[in-house]
Amino acid sequence: MVLVVNDAADDSLHESPEHPERPGRVQAARAALTTLDLGSDLVVVPARVATRAELSRVHAVGYLDELGAYCYGGGGDLDQDTYATYDSWSIATLAAGAGLAVVTELQRRGDGVGFVAVRPPGHHALRDRAMGFCLLNNIAVSAAALVAQGERVVIVDWDVHHGNGTQQIFWDEPNVLYISLHQWPLFPGSGSPVEIGGPGALGSVLNVPLPAGATGDVLRRALEDIVAPVVDAFGPTWVLVSAGYDAHYLDPMADLCLSDGDFADLASSVARYVATPGRLAFFLEGGYHLDALRDSVGATMAAVLGAPHAGEPSTNGGPGASHLVSVAAQRRAAFESWTRVAGEEAR
Amino acid sequence: MMNLNSIVVGYDGSVESENAVRWAVRLAHGVDATVTVLHAAGILERLDTPFRRSATPEAVERIVAEERLDAARCHWVVDDGDACSALLRSAAPPIGAQLLVVGSRGHGKRPGMLIGSVSLEVVQHAAVPVVVIPGFEAPV
Repeated sequence: MVLVVNDAADDSLHESPEHPERPGRVQAARAALTTLDLGSDLVVVPARVATRAELSRVHAVGYLDELGAYCYGGGGDLDQDTYATYDSWSIATLAAGAGLAVVTELQRRGDGVGFVAVRPPGHHALRDRAMGFCLLNNIAVSAAALVAQGERVVIVDWDVHHGNGTQQIFWDEPNVLYISLHQWPLFPGSGSPVEIGGPGALGSVLNVPLPAGATGDVLRRALEDIVAPVVDAFGPTWVLVSAGYDAHYLDPMADLCLSDGDFADLASSVARYVATPGRLAFFLEGGYHLDALRDSVGATMAAVLGAPHAGEPSTNGGPGASHLVSVAAQRRAAFESWTRVAGEEAR
Repeated sequence: MMNLNSIVVGYDGSVESENAVRWAVRLAHGVDATVTVLHAAGILERLDTPFRRSATPEAVERIVAEERLDAARCHWVVDDGDACSALLRSAAPPIGAQLLVVGSRGHGKRPGMLIGSVSLEVVQHAAVPVVVIPGFEAPV
């Protein structure tokens, strides 16, 4: 099976001294893909700039105008975490377009798996606001393009932070199922199991918050017991993954305790969500410890491609199993509450 | 007329937010309300990085003492998220803010400056009244 990846764009000018969201992250991810030694099965496609029409499926036009003007005005801090430079607009639109280019190549081949190695990351970017290092929501731009073609898209987000931007953008979209496994409490504060989607798409959001210290066995069980039945019922034609690697035990951003072997397990599980080849793509989100990021990206893609990879073993024994029972119960209660409200409104 | 019992003010350690806290504390003193000083913990909060602005309760305690507000009527709350979302959430229980106070860094100086304006976002989306305290050029 081929691995389709975007080419290396120059993202060096979207940088702020000592900020952890830095160009070395993409270099680490690319190094991992190179060491898989795939030969001609590694297919590199040129990234392209996402058009205004493609971006405006998920972002407010006014926000796009403001962000572009802010960057070309010299940039600066957008909030306490997020920066932009003069070059950030062109780098961010190229990152969003890279996902589109990878998806298009997978469609053309009808085979393979994609990895979109870009920055800045995207899953915190709201419809009308940058936050959490994210300017444009890369995975949402690709998912929306697929929905426009009549596809049904599952987005699995295993970044340690809840992808509030992706959830918001597709809150009322019945053709996108957004699933997040994340540490809680933690930035951005959202991601409760009772957040299940808007009135037009009830059940299209599935949040699995996990306590600090959770290990891979808890996430594996979450995917099997909670996520898989929901995915089966949804019936996806595409699977996109917000592949953040800040849940690794070495990452300084949070307190989940995954190894690179755990990411291999997660990737294997997620790959089974869609039966048709050529309909699975991973988008780089977080991951700030460069060695952990490199090894985890390598483990992820080796697992999906069936390539050899010597990595860490899977982890077990952390807290969180009891949380999964609570997650399921809270989600059921949220459904019942919505059903009751809808019934009262109908009367 | 509604009694004003619960005031929430955003605080990030900046001069602008200190001005907002002082204004909110004075108001709380005047109308016998409680004031919740809300610090939004961003994604960088746990890192030792120059990007993380120091926002600690000590500065707030100093303001409360200077304004002679009963310390029991001032609460320090840290909420995960961006400042805008945290402030908007505070209008709901358990905090139940009846009034939001936010400092402004000023905007409109050049194109694109409207984005990243917490005060503008809060004013646009808040379910309760909002007071915006002008920026550094016009301290309280």
